[in-house]
Amino acid sequence: MKFSRYPFYFVLPALALYIAFFIAPSVAGIAFAFTDWTPYSDELNFIGWDNFIKIFSPNERYLTYIQNTLIFTIGTVILKTIFALALALLLNDSVKRFVNFYRVMIYLPAILPTLIVALIFRSILHPSTGILNRFLRAVGLDGLAMKWLTDPAIALFSVIGVDTWKGVGYIMVILLAGLQTIPRDYYEAAQIDGANAWDRFRYVTLPMLTPALVVVSVLNVLYGLRVFDIVYALTNGGPGYATEVISTDIFKAFSLGQYGLGTAVSTLLFIMLVFAGYFVIRLLERGRAQD
Amino acid sequence: MKLNMLAGGLLATIALAGIAPVQAQDPVTLTYLTSQGWALDAHLALADKFKAETGITIDTQIIPADQYYTVLRTKLNSGEGPDIFGGQSGVNTLIVDLNVEKNAVDLSGEPWAGQVDPLVAEQATVNGKLYGLTYWDTLGLVWVVNYNKQVFADNGIAIPTTYAELKAAAEKLKAAGIQPIFEPVADGWHHTLWFNEVGPIYEAATPGLAADLNANKATFAGNAKMLENLTQLKEMYDAGFLGDNALADTFAEAPAKLAAGEVAMVVAPLAYSASVQTEVPDSDPNNIGVFLMPIADNNILNVNPGGPTMFIYTGSPHIAEAKQYFEWLTKPENLQEFIDSAPQVLTLPFSGVQKTKFTAEQQALMDQYKDQRGIVYQIAVSYINSQWMEIGKDITAMFTGAMTPEQVLESVDKRRSELATAAKDPAWQ
Repeated sequence: MKFSRYPFYFVLPALALYIAFFIAPSVAGIAFAFTDWTPYSDELNFIGWDNFIKIFSPNERYLTYIQNTLIFTIGTVILKTIFALALALLLNDSVKRFVNFYRVMIYLPAILPTLIVALIFRSILHPSTGILNRFLRAVGLDGLAMKWLTDPAIALFSVIGVDTWKGVGYIMVILLAGLQTIPRDYYEAAQIDGANAWDRFRYVTLPMLTPALVVVSVLNVLYGLRVFDIVYALTNGGPGYATEVISTDIFKAFSLGQYGLGTAVSTLLFIMLVFAGYFVIRLLERGRAQD
Repeated sequence: MKLNMLAGGLLATIALAGIAPVQAQDPVTLTYLTSQGWALDAHLALADKFKAETGITIDTQIIPADQYYTVLRTKLNSGEGPDIFGGQSGVNTLIVDLNVEKNAVDLSGEPWAGQVDPLVAEQATVNGKLYGLTYWDTLGLVWVVNYNKQVFADNGIAIPTTYAELKAAAEKLKAAGIQPIFEPVADGWHHTLWFNEVGPIYEAATPGLAADLNANKATFAGNAKMLENLTQLKEMYDAGFLGDNALADTFAEAPAKLAAGEVAMVVAPLAYSASVQTEVPDSDPNNIGVFLMPIADNNILNVNPGGPTMFIYTGSPHIAEAKQYFEWLTKPENLQEFIDSAPQVLTLPFSGVQKTKFTAEQQALMDQYKDQRGIVYQIAVSYINSQWMEIGKDITAMFTGAMTPEQVLESVDKRRSELATAAKDPAWQ
């Protein structure tokens, strides 16, 4: 078959735009990570790996921010997936009445602005006036009434909980769509073969749901690694630095005029996102192949 | 004949025009570029009055605060500055952000220059030359401890003047079931006041410290007075003097709690009693008293002399008119009119002010410390104001035990170094 250049002419305009507005700024952004770029000076000096050395220095807090980001990511991926799967199974099989109403109600938090969610939960989780602690005290569970957002030991887990509440509906919709593509015949055949409910879930639902699980896992991991808004609005990285994550630190670096350093942290986050996305897909695809 | 008459008439008209009085020049309009929040209604009213008296129009162009310095710098650097421009005073801002030695007219010789409060004038001065007119209430915004007089009286507490007395008072109040101090840490900025506002006491303990810090010849780490301050702040937090939920409290809650006597003290502006009354209409403003923050045994009035300031652009074709406007603004009757008409203003930093709006108690405090005043450290020391929120995070981390007071001071030094290096500050090169 003869190679034809002709189709490429159609691609060129879009490719040019893509290079101009995405590839070039991205490459430039990575290049700026190796400079001392700041708005306070017209000078721009190449400083090698200094910004990256600083990020990994034990005297800095960046490793804690990376650790917080990973805890947040792992926590939200696990919780959102488990809760979303449970809700999707309920709405797909067990609940027969008002299904659409429940779907809307569960999805609703996902469309609420993060700032509104954060304000609501700052009020709910207030240690003295919040309704959560008031409820716990009212039912005699005083010991469980905690300083949800102001105790450094539990603040990050509170943020994970709030983000799970907000995001579970979105993940549930994707999984529900995946469940509805599984032919009923498979379940009937498994039932005839004597499979109980767990067996049907283990050997029919899960393997058939893998494509949807791959999608939600990748989405959750990428979202978790670059989370900013819910942390910023709920705790602003506090108390102290207890809930600081990579993106809130990037924001802080830019607000302090440390553009070069901020770009270096952004570059590091970009690399983490690429690797995380790639390995999650590989991992889940391998599991699917084994099944 | 007709042609001759027409020509004659034309010549006569030209001749008459020649001997007619010179027509008045176009009225002058002074463009004034300022940031949102810096132009009060009272400023605009005075501009209208100036126009009525002189015919000179002040065209006030208000830019959103987050874009202001970008717009201003672009105009100044492109040689298209307004006749008058606004900017926060403070020597570093004047040099770094406004480059006043190039962009602003020297106002040292103006008749009003000698009337400006010396601390305020210092912040609008670079290398001995006064460049700006600070037409803003800098003194009414002194941060002090506001206290509920009734609560103090009921518990037999006198105004504390040292940390030991503050601690004793707090213990007594706590024992009586009253939260001694309301400290809204959740806002992120308020608790930093305890550290930066009492800068004058650091200066008194180590004369010349601010200058040495600015010259990179001294550090925060290792400063005994600063360490004493943070250690005491931590002690107050640990003792529960700031309440059980300081980390979740916000400043907006303070007026109601202070007025109701749920809390006995809160750090707030000198004129806070008026704000409390606005928030809690049935409260008695005379029940709110004021005293200096006694942490680290502070006994110096902490003045923040920086504020929105007006500068005349060197490239303006109307420098004389702009100077005329400044001179007119500083006439005693216009100063008084501004103070009287702006609800949030108690006074202006000029000796020509006849009557302030301070209460007797506020005035007594100002008079008591008239000769014992110092500049707060966010103004006196470079790269402090720009890391205000980060210092707040450090102090919060200190409260929770994640940092020690020494580490907070080291952290302040580290960020100063980073900011100064980024700004290519010669003292850090």
